Amino acid sequence: MTFRQFAFRNVSRNKRLYAGYFLSSLFTVMAFFTFSIFAYHPVLSGVDSSSVTFALSVSKWIIYVFSFFFVLYSMSSFLQSRKREFGLMMMQGMTTVQLRLMIFLENMMIGLSATIGGIALGLVFAKVILLTGENFLAVNEKLAFYFPYKAIVLTLLSFLLLFILISFFISAVLQSGKLITLLNGDKQAKSEPKSSVLLVWLVPILLGTSYFLSLRAEGLEALLLLVPVVVMVCIGTYLLFTQLSVYTIRKLKRMESIFWLKTNMLLFSDLAYRMKDNARSFFLVAIISTVSFCSIGSLYGFQSMIGGHNVKDNPYLFTYTTTNGYSDEQKNIEQIDRSLKEANVTTEKAFLNLAYYKASNRDATIAVVRLSDYNRMTELMEMKGIVLSDGKAAVVDFGLSRIGQSMLNQPITLQPDVVIEANKAVVSPAVHGINGYFVISDDQYAKLGASVQEKHYYIWHGPLGQKQSITAGGKLSNALPYSDSYEFFALEFQNSVLDKLFGPILFIGLFIGIVFFVSAGSFLYFRLYSDLDDDRRKFKAVSKMGLSEKELTKILNRQMVLLFFAPIVVALVHGAVALTTLSHMFQYSLLKESVLVLGLFFIVQVIYFFIVRFFYIRQVKLAIV
Amino acid sequence: MLQVRRVSKIYEGKVAYRALSDIDLTIEDGDFVGIMGPSGSGKTTLLNLIATIDEPTTGEVLYDGKTTGKLNKNELAIFRRRELGFVFQDFNLLHTLTVEENIVLPLTLDGNKVSEMKQKVKTIAEKLGITEIMNKRLYEISGGQAQRAAVARAMIHSPKLLLADEPTGNLDSKSAKDVMELLERINREQNATMMLVTHDAVAASYCKRVVFIKDGRFYSEIHRGDNRQAFFQKIIDTLSLLGGHHNDVSSIRVP
Repeated sequence: MTFRQFAFRNVSRNKRLYAGYFLSSLFTVMAFFTFSIFAYHPVLSGVDSSSVTFALSVSKWIIYVFSFFFVLYSMSSFLQSRKREFGLMMMQGMTTVQLRLMIFLENMMIGLSATIGGIALGLVFAKVILLTGENFLAVNEKLAFYFPYKAIVLTLLSFLLLFILISFFISAVLQSGKLITLLNGDKQAKSEPKSSVLLVWLVPILLGTSYFLSLRAEGLEALLLLVPVVVMVCIGTYLLFTQLSVYTIRKLKRMESIFWLKTNMLLFSDLAYRMKDNARSFFLVAIISTVSFCSIGSLYGFQSMIGGHNVKDNPYLFTYTTTNGYSDEQKNIEQIDRSLKEANVTTEKAFLNLAYYKASNRDATIAVVRLSDYNRMTELMEMKGIVLSDGKAAVVDFGLSRIGQSMLNQPITLQPDVVIEANKAVVSPAVHGINGYFVISDDQYAKLGASVQEKHYYIWHGPLGQKQSITAGGKLSNALPYSDSYEFFALEFQNSVLDKLFGPILFIGLFIGIVFFVSAGSFLYFRLYSDLDDDRRKFKAVSKMGLSEKELTKILNRQMVLLFFAPIVVALVHGAVALTTLSHMFQYSLLKESVLVLGLFFIVQVIYFFIVRFFYIRQVKLAIV
Repeated sequence: MLQVRRVSKIYEGKVAYRALSDIDLTIEDGDFVGIMGPSGSGKTTLLNLIATIDEPTTGEVLYDGKTTGKLNKNELAIFRRRELGFVFQDFNLLHTLTVEENIVLPLTLDGNKVSEMKQKVKTIAEKLGITEIMNKRLYEISGGQAQRAAVARAMIHSPKLLLADEPTGNLDSKSAKDVMELLERINREQNATMMLVTHDAVAASYCKRVVFIKDGRFYSEIHRGDNRQAFFQKIIDTLSLLGGHHNDVSSIRVP
C-alpha cells in the first residue's frame, strides 16, 4: 500500500462519510453544465437572442462563483468533523505535509468524480429540461438536443480548476493544531454560545427600516433604495441567525416552566449550538433563496404584467384607428374584414367616431363621442354603459390617467348652441389610448357642425383564445405595417410575440431559481447530516435513561423543522416584501404571481423536508437499537 | 533510553488543574514498565507526554539524551512514526482499511517500498498469529484480533519504545491474556522496550516492574521477581494501600 493507495482507499471505502460532500459538489457541477449547454445551444445563440445567451453566460458565472464558496464551505465544515481521524493519523506519524497531501488528493478525487458525474447527469437533465421547455413554455423554436462538446470541455476545465484551487487553499490553511486537542476534539465541552444585546436590537431595527422603506417606496424610489436596503437586509439577516436566534433560545432556557417541560430541555439545549454553528449556512441559504424568489417572481410578474396590461387596456381582438381623410381607409377595413372571414375568426365589428372641436371658452380641443357609439362598445365588452342625465355629459379616461376629474362641472362651449358639461367621470378601456374625451347624447351630437379633426376607431371584438386570430393577426400586421396615417393592433398576435420573447427568459429565470433552490436545499441537507453523529451519540445516551421512540421522533422532528425552515421562512418574508415593492413600482398587482411562486417553493421545501426527515430519524433510531 | 525529568503538567483554563508534578522516570532498553494508579492519578497524561502527543508544562522528556521539546511538528511526526509504537484501549484502527493495510500504515507514511512492506507484514503476522485475518475489514474481526492487529501495527517498524494505553480495557479475559502474553513475548524475544498504562492488576503483572502514581505524584515502584503470581499479589497490595477503586482487597492478607 503506497501513500496514494492509502488516500484513495480512505475515500473509496468510506463512501457514506463523503456522500454529502460529493453530492453537493455534483449538484453544482450539474447546474453549471446545464447552463453551459443552453448558453452554447445553436438555436439560442442565434443573432436575435443574443441577450438570452448573455443572460445565460452571466448566470453561469454567478453559479461558478457561488459554487466556489459552496464547495469551499462544505469542505471546511467536512474537515472540522474529521479532527479525531486526523489526530489518529498524526499519531501514526503522519506529518502535516502528508496530511495536506492526503486532503488534497481526497479533494481532487471527489472533485474529479463529481465533475464527470455532474456532466453525465447534466446531459440527462438537459434532455428533460429541453423537452419540458418545448412543450410547456412558449419556446416555439425547436430547442433540439445536441451533443455539447463545448459545454463539456468548459465545465471540465473550469471545475477542475475550481477543485484544484480549493484543494490547494484548504490544504494550505488547514490548521492541524495540537495533537492532543485533535484527539480529544469531540470530547471537549463547548462554551455556551453568547449573543450581544446591542446586536440583537439591531436586527428588528435593520429589518424593520428596510421593510418600511421598501414598502413605502413609490415608483422609481425603489431603485434608489435598492442598494442600502439590500445591505441592511443582509446584515440584519446575518445577525438574525447569529445573534437573535441564540438570544431567543437563551431567554427560553431561562423560563423554566417551558425549558423544564418534558422533552423541551433536550431540544433547546442543543439548538443554541446548532443555530450558532449553522448560522453562516443559514444566512447563505436565506439570501440565495430570497434572490431566487425575487428573480423568478419578478420575471413571471413582468411577463404577466405586460400580457395583462394588453388584455386589460385593449380588450378587442383587432383595432384599427385612422384620421378622417386617409384615402386607403375603406380599402384597409375591407382587407381586415376579408382576412378575418377567411381565417374564420369569430368577431363583431363596431365603429366609433371621435370628433375634435375647438372650445370657444377654452384653449384645448375637445374630443366628443356619441353616446350610442360608446355604449355599443361597452356592450360588446359586456361592461356597464353610460346613462346620461338630461343635457349633461360624461368624461371618460383611459388607463391610469385621471384628467377627467379636473374637467367636471365646467361648461364647455363647443358651438354657440352646444354647451356641454360633464357631471360624471368614468374610467374605461373602450377607446384605447385616449384620455378625457366627452360622451354626449345623440341629440347634442347631431347639432354639432364640422369638426376640426375626426378619428375613426374600428374594433373587432371576439372571444379570446382563438388560434386562428394569431395567424390572421400576424398576416394582417405584415400587410398593414406601421404608418403615420393609421394604426393597426392585433391583440392575440402581439401577445404571442411577447410570449415568444419572454418564453426563453422566463424559462431561464425559472431554471436559475430551481438550481439555486436545489443547491440551497442540499446545502441544508448536508449541514444537517454533519450533525448526525452528534445526535446519535446524544440520543444513545438519553435513551438509556428511558426515552420512548415517540418522544425521540418528536424532538428530532421539532429540531429539524426549526433548522430546515428557519432560513426558508426568512427568505419567504424577504421575498414577499420585495415582490410587494416591485408591484408598487410597476403599479400592477403581483399578488397572484407572488403567491404562486412562493407557494411552489414552500411546497417543494416541505417535500424535501419529509424525505430528509424520514432518513434522518431512521438513522438515529438505528443507532439506538 | 527514555528519561523523564522533573516533569509537571498543569492544565490551564478557568480551573487550573495540576495533573502531574515532578515526575521522574527512566526506562532502559528492553525494559517493560507498567504505570498504575487510581483514576485521575495522571497515568494517561504521563503517557501522552512520553508519546509526544502533549507537551509538559515544566521538565523534559529525553530519548537517548535528546529532548523532544525542541523538535518541531514535522520532526515530531517523523519521530513518532519511526521511534514509537502505540496500542490503545479502543484499538484506533482505521475502519476504512483492511487489517493488513492498517498494519503497514506507519511504513506507508514513511514511503517504504511495497515489497519491503509486504515482507515485514508477513513476518509480523506469522509471529502474532493473525495471518488468516489480514485481508479482513475491522467489522469482520473480534476485539482480541483487533488488538493483536494494533500490536502488529505498533511493532512493524521496530520502534524504540512501544506505548500501550489500557490495551486490555476492552477485551475479555481470554483475549486480554493472549494480548499480554504476546507483549511479554515480544519484549522477551526481541528485547523491545515497552511501557504500559493499566488499571488491570493481571495485565500489570506481565511487566518487569510497575510504577505507581497517585494524584500526579510518584508513589512507589515494585519489581517482578521470577514469580508472576507473587508479583500480582504485590501489585494488589500496593493498589489497596493506594485506595484504588477496584481490585480493592484487604491489605491484611499475607502473600
